[in-house]
Amino acid sequence: MNGSPKAPALRIDRLCKRYGGFTAVDGISLEVARGDFFGFLGPNGAGKTTSINAIVGLATITSGTIEIFGYDNVRAWREARGLVGLAPQEYNFDRYLSIRDVLIYQAGYYGLRGAAVRKRADNLLERFGLTSKANDTFVRLSGGMKRRLTLARALIHEPQLLILDEPTAGVDVELRIELWDLLRDLNAAGTTIILTTHYLEEAEALCKNIAIVEGGKLVAMESTAKLLARRGTTTLSVTVDRPLASVPPALVALGAIYEAPTRTVRLFNVPPDAIAATLGELGAAGYAIENVDFARSSLQDVFLDLVKR
Amino acid sequence: MTDVWGFRNPIGFATLVKRELVRTYKVINQVIWPPIITTILYVLVFGLGLGSRVQNVQGVPYAAFLIPGLIMLQVIDQTYGESSSSLFQGRFMYSIQELLVSPLSALEIVTGFIVASILRALLIAMLIMSVGFVMVHTLPQNWVLFFGMVVLVSTLFGAIGIIFGLLAEKFDHIAVFTTFVITPLVFVGGVFTSAQFLPPLVRRVSLVNPMFYMIDAFRFAFTGRSDVPVTLSIAIVATLAVASLAIALRMTALGYKLRV
Repeated sequence: MNGSPKAPALRIDRLCKRYGGFTAVDGISLEVARGDFFGFLGPNGAGKTTSINAIVGLATITSGTIEIFGYDNVRAWREARGLVGLAPQEYNFDRYLSIRDVLIYQAGYYGLRGAAVRKRADNLLERFGLTSKANDTFVRLSGGMKRRLTLARALIHEPQLLILDEPTAGVDVELRIELWDLLRDLNAAGTTIILTTHYLEEAEALCKNIAIVEGGKLVAMESTAKLLARRGTTTLSVTVDRPLASVPPALVALGAIYEAPTRTVRLFNVPPDAIAATLGELGAAGYAIENVDFARSSLQDVFLDLVKR
Repeated sequence: MTDVWGFRNPIGFATLVKRELVRTYKVINQVIWPPIITTILYVLVFGLGLGSRVQNVQGVPYAAFLIPGLIMLQVIDQTYGESSSSLFQGRFMYSIQELLVSPLSALEIVTGFIVASILRALLIAMLIMSVGFVMVHTLPQNWVLFFGMVVLVSTLFGAIGIIFGLLAEKFDHIAVFTTFVITPLVFVGGVFTSAQFLPPLVRRVSLVNPMFYMIDAFRFAFTGRSDVPVTLSIAIVATLAVASLAIALRMTALGYKLRV
């Protein structure tokens, strides 16, 4: 039922969304391949949720186009919407229905009904640990349960593209890990996933590709690995017992810098075999090593670097 | 948006109707019992109490004259209430997004709310009619007109409810239309009295009150008499219903205050 078997899961072309004089999304273009686990990151107010709302049809588009598996989401909106499942950031559940009915009615809105749907709802409740609450309304659920219900509802019509807006906001570490596993399984089973998150370690752990937006514009779009490699990936910091008279020439050659206040020598992107050599050089010069720290730059560093430019 | 007029998701439409009926059931103490209790009180106090001192109106006892007007009063009030408060609550609590992300067209959404309004109206009309039968032994003589007018009037006010449910910025705004338009117009529109009893000037003014035509035609279904020709009343109400529906559809299709 795809618009074109070769079309990417999502193609955004020069998307603009303006509210009066304010431009929330300013010419974003991107593609998400089928089967991708795609991170959509940016600081608050960068235009992430607005972009997502435009994709799923909750916001009108000022200009530009959005295609979902080749279906234009304005001209072929029925087909496009049927292929997308949204787990929004804000809870938007029907408070008149039990959570089991929330799932069944949502399926109904997508044009699905019958025993298969009811079974699927029960399976999702089971899978997300919500069976005991099946007949309660959403207001009776704990915070973690509400998050899980958000995800269960997004999956009720078996979407091929799952869009998650801050899926683990406000959930504890244990549940977050549990949700990560679930998302990995879904992705492994072929569902394309787009995720926005404030937790950069979440994007680092889950996403294959990442786009970073700021001020409504795309500032980076790369594979997670490449993005991580953008900045000095490793930093070696060696603290010595007394002020260093001068940095040994061998370390200068490796690009070492010395921070006098902390008596710390720092080297960036050291090859693995240079670690022992660095410690050796300092020892040979008569200094005792007080502390050694080796850090890999995280997505957070890259992110901060990109959005602060 | 293209395909606004499409009706290709009947299951989605039926699900929305069902959802609205569930909502009606969940708020039954606000939307079903009050109209019934109010009607019983009106009939007791005005119809049987005061009315016993009033001569026959349009050839029937005053209490029997009162019943059709009271049904219209509640049908108008409750169908406006159904769609306006459901839509506004949905916007307020974001649950309307469940519909907006689904493959439902503006036509499917609007008719979903309208059909739910009609069903709520039919339920209320039947209940009040039963009250009328038990208390004052009056029943419709023309069932086609009875059901036709309930459907037409609830379509009109269901659509107006959608319009105000979309316009409103707070719950208070929903009540503005009830307080300042519906209630005054219905009360002077012939619920309690025939236009023949009004002073000539007031009678002429009531001819620009759309509620007058609704009540007059609906009462014809019971008494077989009306102040103005029934076809004229039906034509006026139908025209208003079509116009309101068109506006409600247009607003929904544009995503007015829905798709931001």
